[in-house]
Amino acid sequence: MNTSDRRLYWILLFPSLAILILFIAAPVGQSFFLSLHRMIIGLPHLGVSFVGLQNYGDLFNDPVARHSLWITLIFVGTTTFFELLIGLLLALLMHRQFPGRGGLRACILIPWAIPTVVSAQMWRFLFNDAYGMVNYALFGPEVSQYIPWLAIPSTALVSLIVADVWKTASFAALLILAGLQVIPDQLYESARVDGAGPWQRFWHITWPLIRPALLVALLFRTIDAFRVFDLAFVMTQGGPADATNVLQLYGYKKMFVEGWMGYGSAISVCVFVMALCLALVYVRVVGRRLLEAEA
Amino acid sequence: MGHHVFQLKTGRRHPCTPGWVTGAAMRAFLTISILFHLAVGLCPDLDAARADEATHIVFLTWKPNQPQAWDRLIERFERENPNIAVKRQIGPHSSTDYHAIVTQRLRNRDTSLDVFLMDAIWPPEFAAAGWAMDLSPQFFAAEQKDFLEGPIRANTWQGGIYGVPCYIGAGLFYYRKDLLQKYGFEPPRTWEEMLRQGEAVLKGENDPGLTVYSAQFKQYEGLVCDMMEFIWSNGGEAVAPATGNVLLDREAAVQAVSFVRDRIIGKAAPRGVLNYEEPESLALFIQGNAMFHRNWPYAWGLANAPEISRVAGKVEVTRLPSFKGHDSASTLGGWQFGINRYSRRPEAAWRFVQFMTSKASQRTLALKSGLAPARRSVYEDPLVRQNMPHLKAFLPAFEKARPRPRSPVYPMISQELQRYFSRAIAGQGADIAAMAKASAERIRRFVKLGNASLR
Repeated sequence: MNTSDRRLYWILLFPSLAILILFIAAPVGQSFFLSLHRMIIGLPHLGVSFVGLQNYGDLFNDPVARHSLWITLIFVGTTTFFELLIGLLLALLMHRQFPGRGGLRACILIPWAIPTVVSAQMWRFLFNDAYGMVNYALFGPEVSQYIPWLAIPSTALVSLIVADVWKTASFAALLILAGLQVIPDQLYESARVDGAGPWQRFWHITWPLIRPALLVALLFRTIDAFRVFDLAFVMTQGGPADATNVLQLYGYKKMFVEGWMGYGSAISVCVFVMALCLALVYVRVVGRRLLEAEA
Repeated sequence: MGHHVFQLKTGRRHPCTPGWVTGAAMRAFLTISILFHLAVGLCPDLDAARADEATHIVFLTWKPNQPQAWDRLIERFERENPNIAVKRQIGPHSSTDYHAIVTQRLRNRDTSLDVFLMDAIWPPEFAAAGWAMDLSPQFFAAEQKDFLEGPIRANTWQGGIYGVPCYIGAGLFYYRKDLLQKYGFEPPRTWEEMLRQGEAVLKGENDPGLTVYSAQFKQYEGLVCDMMEFIWSNGGEAVAPATGNVLLDREAAVQAVSFVRDRIIGKAAPRGVLNYEEPESLALFIQGNAMFHRNWPYAWGLANAPEISRVAGKVEVTRLPSFKGHDSASTLGGWQFGINRYSRRPEAAWRFVQFMTSKASQRTLALKSGLAPARRSVYEDPLVRQNMPHLKAFLPAFEKARPRPRSPVYPMISQELQRYFSRAIAGQGADIAAMAKASAERIRRFVKLGNASLR
């Protein structure tokens, strides 16, 4: 590569690099910087003092934070599992030839297109203990049987999980559908000629070939689920009894409600690092699978 | 499954304002719009151009229930002061979210903000941080005398006064007078009596939809208000106002919290109240599904509006019950005007605050939007007395309303209280005394941190 090529290279790269630095590197850097300091919004005269890793030490010993991490992990695990499972079923359904397929594909994407705050508000109504449609669907007019979904710690978290699965299963479906569509039909034809049944065709052709797409969906969904905030913010505000106090919501409350800028930043940085580690692991695995699939 | 209830659900989001048209989605939307406004506000040309024409002051508010009353007042102010224009910015309706916005701006010494609203619990924080202007040079003691004592004390900190009360709120006890009359009961004086009456009425009515009590027990600011009323009315306290001692783990407080868990949640009140803020709990009451209801003054108008309430005309209001041998107690709420210490137009800002809190304006706000005046003299006004006869019934609760812990770090204390209360009442069989002890220990550290900032 000669020098003028190299210059062009950098010129062309500059806009995207600038955007990345401005919108990703700078905020992350600032959060990290803040997380090494003690700074409380409501007590400005205490000033900003460098405290090293103390915020991280406190975070490690904070029972509320540990509880939040646990809640977040449960949320990530269950939502990702069900989203991929339902997404796979939806994708297989959408891949079949049948009249009205285009319309169905569009419909399935509607939940994904609705902003989360709006769908969270909708689910809050659906899960209402007095007139929610979930209770009505389950118990009809038997009001005495109605379950206050969002008022019991365990069911509140389940409600959040259901709302998230409803919203993003279609996104997983879309990614998996893309994987399905690149599988050549000849493979199925020859398998059929060889006498393979539907199950055998699925296990020996579809499954191995959509695995890369599945992994990509898994990557996106886990990282996204890790950063869940809006669902809990709208549906429960973290309650009852902190049962839905996911990490990002806890960080938000520490930072913007209580005013612990440093501590709140430490929480954000931890979420970022965990998501980054996950991403790195996935990218390595996915990358390898993709290469294998091509080879 | 009446769909009209859905409208109700979008009502008030937080304890101390009369929100009526908002919801979490709205809240998020407003947050975004505020950010947009902030971005626009950064544009210097716009600001400069306006300043040439006339002094303009920026008033950060939330969307009121009855915007017409506020619009009319601001118009009148601009007519009387032709050289001052009031530019309104609308913040989120939830007290907690509005707090996040206004503290961010004040912290950055944003000089484009002149007048803001303060919830009853903020003045110590805003005063200690040096954000709110000390108004004692212009808000004279003689003038303060016309205001109710609670709000004045709420605005006083370390010898200065940092806000002028706009309207007052306090926890009130709404009840179904038709049901009590039918069974020959007087309004209950104690919590036990309320439960006994409730049991008798439930037995007699045999209506599976009917419950005894409806209030706010979600994990949010309102939970602190409701739980403190139980604790105070048992002779307990969370943080002693005079000494700053944390008494949350004392017997009286622990007993009151245990009472709520064992006798109220899932018994007198449906378990769903653990996720109820004001609108949801009010919906239960005005649908005719609760005999007793704790709420702020704004609920009176809604409970008696025949278009939305099934119990209009059957509702009466009094002070909250207490535990035997103790006094009833209401949490002080309500909002105040504060002036940014870094305002570039403090005189114009004060003129505006003075106007908005004048007797005439408070009268307009009372008559046109049902807000309970903070000035005593408005209660004597003939027109107010004629049109709002119920205000007289509110007054005893207003006079004795008690403040939540007063500290520059109240938001930290509140978050801890919310966590403790919610964990104590949502889980059966938890060791409340041990939880109270751990929570009190954390609050002691916060109180100490807040004290460190005192002069």
